[in-house]
Amino acid sequence: MTAPTPHHFIALIEDACTSCLICVQECPTWCISLDSHHEEVSEPGARRPRTVSVLDDFRIDYGLCMYCGICVDLCPFDALEWRPRVGYQAEGRDDLVHDIARLDGGTSDG
Amino acid sequence: MIADDMLEVAVAEWAEAAREARDGGLPFLELLTVVDRGDELDVVARMSDASGRLSLGLMTRVAADAPRIESLAAVLPAASWHEREVAEMFGVVFDGHPDPRPLLLRGTAGAPPLRRGTPLAVRLERAWPGEVEPASRRRSRQQLPPGVRPEWLPGGSA
Amino acid sequence: MTEIAWLRLAADPGVRVGSLPLACCALEVESAVRQGALRAETAADGHPRETVLLVAGTVTAPLAPLVRMVVDQAPAGTRVVAFGACATSGGPYWDAPSVRPGADAAGAAGVPIDVYVPGCPPPPEALVAAITGREVAP
Repeated sequence: MTAPTPHHFIALIEDACTSCLICVQECPTWCISLDSHHEEVSEPGARRPRTVSVLDDFRIDYGLCMYCGICVDLCPFDALEWRPRVGYQAEGRDDLVHDIARLDGGTSDG
Repeated sequence: MIADDMLEVAVAEWAEAAREARDGGLPFLELLTVVDRGDELDVVARMSDASGRLSLGLMTRVAADAPRIESLAAVLPAASWHEREVAEMFGVVFDGHPDPRPLLLRGTAGAPPLRRGTPLAVRLERAWPGEVEPASRRRSRQQLPPGVRPEWLPGGSA
Repeated sequence: MTEIAWLRLAADPGVRVGSLPLACCALEVESAVRQGALRAETAADGHPRETVLLVAGTVTAPLAPLVRMVVDQAPAGTRVVAFGACATSGGPYWDAPSVRPGADAAGAAGVPIDVYVPGCPPPPEALVAAITGREVAP
C-alpha cells in the first residue's frame, strides 16, 4: 500500500480577508458564503476615521466543494490557502459546512 | 484535429454525404452530436474505418428555432441512439427516425436541457451567495453568478 | 434481487463492503482495491460482522429508485456511505434537472446516509477512513 496522500482543504486566514466577495462570486458551485459589516476605525493622528470591512461569517460547504482551488487562486489578499487536512468526513450533511472557527487550520474539528 | 477534416454539407445532402462516406470505406459512426451556436445548431458526425485511424467529420447547420434534419438511421443503424439523445437534449427533429422515443430523459418534459437558452432552473431559484446589496450595483455580465447566462434573466438578451 | 460484487476490508475481513458504482468515484473504490485496502469477498470469509454500502457517484432521477432498492435489501444495521460530492449534494451537477441533490435528497427514493465523504473525488484513503470510522493521518 502506498503512503496516504493527505486530502488538502481550504483554510481561511481571517485577518487577511477584506470581505471583497471575489471568492464567493467566482465559485462555480456557489459553495462559499460570507457576511460582513463596515466599521469606522479612528487612528491617532488621522484626520477622519477609516472605514474597514469586518468579517462576521465565512462558510465553505465541503459537501458541494469540488476542491478546484479557483477561490485560492483568485484571492487578491492570499486569505485562502491549501492545507493538509484530517477529519473531512461527517455524519450529518450540515457538518460539512465549515464556518470561520473550523476553517482556521483544520485543527479544531479533529 | 477534428477541425482539419471537417466536411460541411448542406442539410439536404446530410444523409447522402453519410452514405458516401460509409460506402467509401468509413462504415463506423463514432459520434453524432450538436453544438449550440445560438441562431443555428451545428449537427456533427464523425465516421471512421475499421482501424479507427482514418476518420472524417461531417457537419451541417440547422436553424435553432425549428431544427429538423433527415435521420441517418437508415444509412447507419448506430445513429439511432445518438439521434434519440440529440432529439431530447437539443430538440432536433430527425425525419424518418425508426424509433423516436426519448432515450435518457423520463417524465421531464420541457425545454431541451442542453440548449444554451434553457435555464438551469435551480441556479435561478437558489439565492446566489455572491449577490451584492443593493442588487442594482450588479450590472456587468461578469458579475452574473457562475453557471447563469444573461438570456435566462428577465430582460436579458436572447 | 440486485447482485453486488461484495468486497471485504483487508485489515478487518469481518467488514463487508458493497459499492454502488454510479460514476467516476467508483474508480476511487477500485483504487482502494488496487492499493490492497479492499479485496474481493471469498467463500472462506464467512458471515460478515458489519456491512457497509458505498454510494459512489451521481444519483440521477432514474437511478434513485435502484439505489433505494439496494439499500432496502441490505441487512439491518448496514451503514450507508455517501462517497464523494455527487452522492453528498449532487456535487458539480447540483444544478442539473436530472440529478438528485445527494443520495439522501428528500423524496420517495432518498436513502438515509450515515457518513458523508466530501471531495471530487475523495482519495481512497478517505474511503477507508469512512468504512473504519478512523481518520486519515495528515
